[in-house]
Amino acid sequence: MIFELSNNGNPCFSNIHPLLAGLLQAIAMDPWERYPEGSARLLPPPGVDEELLLDWQDLVQPELRHHFDLERSLVVEDLAKMHEMKRGKGKVDAWSLEIPLDHADSWLTTLNALRLTLVEEHGFKEEDLTQNGAPDFSSERGLALMQVNFYAFVQECLLQTMESAEGGGDGA
Amino acid sequence: MSQPGLLDSPETSLSESLDLPWLVVVHNDPVNLMSYVTMVFCRVFGWNRERAKKHMMEVHRLGRSIVWSGGREQAEHYVQQLHTFLLLSTMEKST
Repeated sequence: MIFELSNNGNPCFSNIHPLLAGLLQAIAMDPWERYPEGSARLLPPPGVDEELLLDWQDLVQPELRHHFDLERSLVVEDLAKMHEMKRGKGKVDAWSLEIPLDHADSWLTTLNALRLTLVEEHGFKEEDLTQNGAPDFSSERGLALMQVNFYAFVQECLLQTMESAEGGGDGA
Repeated sequence: MSQPGLLDSPETSLSESLDLPWLVVVHNDPVNLMSYVTMVFCRVFGWNRERAKKHMMEVHRLGRSIVWSGGREQAEHYVQQLHTFLLLSTMEKST
């Protein structure tokens, strides 16, 4: 997979392997439906004060969930535009995806939500997330870990692009 | 006729003593990327990158960082903002 900026400055991924394209398409799924237990992490309690907890459940959490759904809907729109790259004899062996820069926030939120959900669902610890070595595709857990790491890579690409676009950097 | 100056002072100090500030705390989370957390701090609190990175590293190394203190309503606002970005944050009363 190649990451570069398109002519109009949008983050663009090309030569995406079909397996990774499948992982990207999986971002569209509703985490509350797919991972009902893990998605609890997306709406954490704001503290221990009981009155605050009740207010949060009634007023803030529905608003947050609505916000996450809206962000995901923009990502779904972009994913629908992911297109095939035909190379040789019309065979599709790679995909390409351009993300409008003004959708980058929605992507970051949606990728983060899915990563958090997957980590919660599979009980990954810090040592799991930082381990080096070949990914284990033989188990659902191994695949989930690969998903978490792949989405982190996409997030890093987006963050770098946003930082450059804002003229940021460590010296800013 | 009352003398406002004499009555107002004790009331104000009593009110202030009861109204301890609330702290907004961000907790460590191995999932959120360091660059992402830095960006969120800049966005939510309007900090420069240097200050944002300092608090991000504090979260990473110490497990938590107090990122703001003040009135309850504003603390709620900040925690909600941080939850919008999926950072693990809470508010607690200062002791």
